[in-house]
Amino acid sequence: MEEVIKAEHLTKDYGGGRGIFDISFFITKGEVFGFVGTNGSGKTTTIRHIMGFIKPKNGTVTVLGMDAWKDACKIKESVAYIPGEIAFPDLTTGIEFLKAQAELLGLKSMDRAEELIKRLQLDPSANLKRMSKGMKQKTAIVAALMADKDILILDEPTTGLDPLMRETFLELILEEKRKGKTILMSSQMFDELEETCDRVALIYDGKIIDIADVNALKSSTIKSYKIEFLDKEDYLKFKKLKYKIIRDQEKYYQVTVQIDDSEINRLFKSLSKYKLKFISEIKFNLEKHFKDILEKEVKGGKNVF
Amino acid sequence: MYFSKALFKQSMKANWVKWLCVTVATCVMLAIVIIVLGSLAINDIRDSLKDVFEQADQEGYLNENSVDSYEAYTLSVDFANQLDDPMLSMFAGTAYNMAVSGYQEKIDAYTEANGQAPTGEALETIKEEAATEFITENESILAMLNMTDEEISQFLYIVYMTHDNNPTLDTTNNETVITELKESFVEYAGLTAYNLYISQGETEEVANGYRLQAVELANTAINSYEQKSQEEGFVYDEEVFKEEANEYVINMIYTQTYNQFITSETPTEEEISNAEQYAVAAKVLANTAISTYELWIDELTGSEMTDAEIKAYAKEQASASITDQIPEKVAEALEELGNMDIYGLIIGSIFYRIAGILLPMVFVIMVANGLLAGQVDSGSMAYVLSTPTKRRTVACTQMAYLMLSLLAMFLLVTVTSVISIWVVGGNNFAINFAEICLFNLGAFLTMFAFAGYCFMCSAIFNRSKYSMSIGGGLSIFMLVCTILGLFGSNVVPSAMRIDAMNVFNYFSIISLFDTVSILNGTISFAWKFAILAGIAIVTFIIGVFRFEKKDLPL
Repeated sequence: MEEVIKAEHLTKDYGGGRGIFDISFFITKGEVFGFVGTNGSGKTTTIRHIMGFIKPKNGTVTVLGMDAWKDACKIKESVAYIPGEIAFPDLTTGIEFLKAQAELLGLKSMDRAEELIKRLQLDPSANLKRMSKGMKQKTAIVAALMADKDILILDEPTTGLDPLMRETFLELILEEKRKGKTILMSSQMFDELEETCDRVALIYDGKIIDIADVNALKSSTIKSYKIEFLDKEDYLKFKKLKYKIIRDQEKYYQVTVQIDDSEINRLFKSLSKYKLKFISEIKFNLEKHFKDILEKEVKGGKNVF
Repeated sequence: MYFSKALFKQSMKANWVKWLCVTVATCVMLAIVIIVLGSLAINDIRDSLKDVFEQADQEGYLNENSVDSYEAYTLSVDFANQLDDPMLSMFAGTAYNMAVSGYQEKIDAYTEANGQAPTGEALETIKEEAATEFITENESILAMLNMTDEEISQFLYIVYMTHDNNPTLDTTNNETVITELKESFVEYAGLTAYNLYISQGETEEVANGYRLQAVELANTAINSYEQKSQEEGFVYDEEVFKEEANEYVINMIYTQTYNQFITSETPTEEEISNAEQYAVAAKVLANTAISTYELWIDELTGSEMTDAEIKAYAKEQASASITDQIPEKVAEALEELGNMDIYGLIIGSIFYRIAGILLPMVFVIMVANGLLAGQVDSGSMAYVLSTPTKRRTVACTQMAYLMLSLLAMFLLVTVTSVISIWVVGGNNFAINFAEICLFNLGAFLTMFAFAGYCFMCSAIFNRSKYSMSIGGGLSIFMLVCTILGLFGSNVVPSAMRIDAMNVFNYFSIISLFDTVSILNGTISFAWKFAILAGIAIVTFIIGVFRFEKKDLPL
């Protein structure tokens, strides 16, 4: 597998514990890679290194085999970028900005841009300064995607978009993925990363804590169910059955069991004998996965999300 | 080539409104300064002050001339009166021989010693020595003459002159001796006037004019005395002759002034009445000067001063003009004000070094910041740098924009200034085309240096606030220093100047824009221009390289 982006022992110490430390990861061609982490965890700093805006103190970043700092200009021929901060150059309208950007990119045709504008329902003739956050974000998305570059680096691209637009945007990303593009996307939303990414890296305090394989998580057959009983008798009887109970709340006659999908019929048969208040599935998702890891890694198991 | 057309266009679109406002405002201000102030003739006050001083000088000359002429006339009368002494007329020949014998002996001794007769300085020295010796030897006899030592030495000098002119004078005839002495006196009066004006630094031609005038005065005075002394029952009265002298001198001044103003052979009526007016005024001035002179002589006679001192003092007082009567410091300040170049001050030192570069400076501070630091701070630089555009290309393109916008601005200002100068009279105006072009070049180079410095700050800092406060702050500080320093610089007249404030000029690179050197036609402005250009080039280059190497928070 061809490694399109590769970071090795990337370190930038800003002092006072801020910065990124010994970050290593790779992204293969056609892969969608996610960054997740709290504010100030180091997602943007890592992305700035890839874009060649910052010189690493230690370690290297290569894009398509080229050094991200030294060959920054060459790399940009294949890279499109949505910055985390939405601020446009001092121009009047959206269309003026897009045209200026197209000129800088050496783009001849605006067909793709017009298509994107339609998809995102953007009014590009609006004044850039008076645009809402969502409008600005849409403009930035169009500017990044219109050149049809092979690598997309998106720093929190869905900020400010309404839920419907977010869906449209995620669809767009999936389309790009199908075209075989390599995508790096950072976000604070687990669900959108889960929906689009192949792998997601968790960054905490400037370090990569874990890189999760989303597809493996999705295909997992182990599920959790929360069950509450109407009376104490049934609750105690159920507990005697040999199910794996991961959480037990006596006060509410409530248990959380973890079973493999193959055991689901046995569970339902058992439950048919008792009077239940409700049963609900607790999804085992990326968020839960990372929470579990953080609780183990970080002392005191603070609620970080 | 490190140049991006697209980025250049973007910078133009972002800044053209600022550029236009600043350029139009600066051009309009400059046009107003040159045209409106030019046609208001602000130099009128200066010119009238200058006139006052020139007229005062002329008045001084006139007064001096009147007093000198009056003195010559009265002295001549006095001399004629002395020769008219009955005792002297009996022994004139004997006295003459007595006086000359000592003098001739000295000449003979000198001729023997040096092999040639004495001339020039040597002859003058011999005359002095002979006179002194004569006075000491004949003290008792001379005491009877009722003459001061000064008068006697003057008399002896005339005797020696007579002997020089005519060594074989027939001394047996008293009449001939006296006539000869009178002739020598006239010559002596002319010589004295000549020497006086030469010692005052006048040309030989002018001094000769005064010699002729003195000769004529002496002749007239002596003739007038002789005529009067022939009349029956004549008694010498000094006052009568003083009256006569006054009358004669003021009429002489009248005629001189009148002729001065009639230049053509066939004068028009207007010219004549004009000349008459001036001549009357001159006559009045002359009369006043003579009266003043007489009053001071009367006032001081009997004081401890000698006669010569009294005369000199009275003459000084009588020939004083208006400006001699005001305190020296005030007179100096007024004269400086009269000589001040108000256009040079307003256009050169105030417009081109302060008022005219204020708006371009605001433009430079804002635009230089916006071209790099502002875009890095807001994050919009990310869009440019996410395209295949080198950082050096970005820096060079922005630098080119800043330089060219400034150049275009000053080209328009130059065109405006040249047209304005042409409107108010071209090269006849107080500031000519070459000077105004150098002013524009200087203002451009000054702004070029500030632009380089602000650009460098914009390239070094990632935050607008630092770029603005360090780049813009220092620039404004320098402009303020130039304003304060103006009150200590020598373009401001000394009456308004506070020398200590000149220290502010050392804190500002605007001091390298030397408008005084340009106006005075010296070339010291040229190397200062070169320093300004050097500052600009160095700071621009530092800016480009720094922007290429630094971390960008995008």
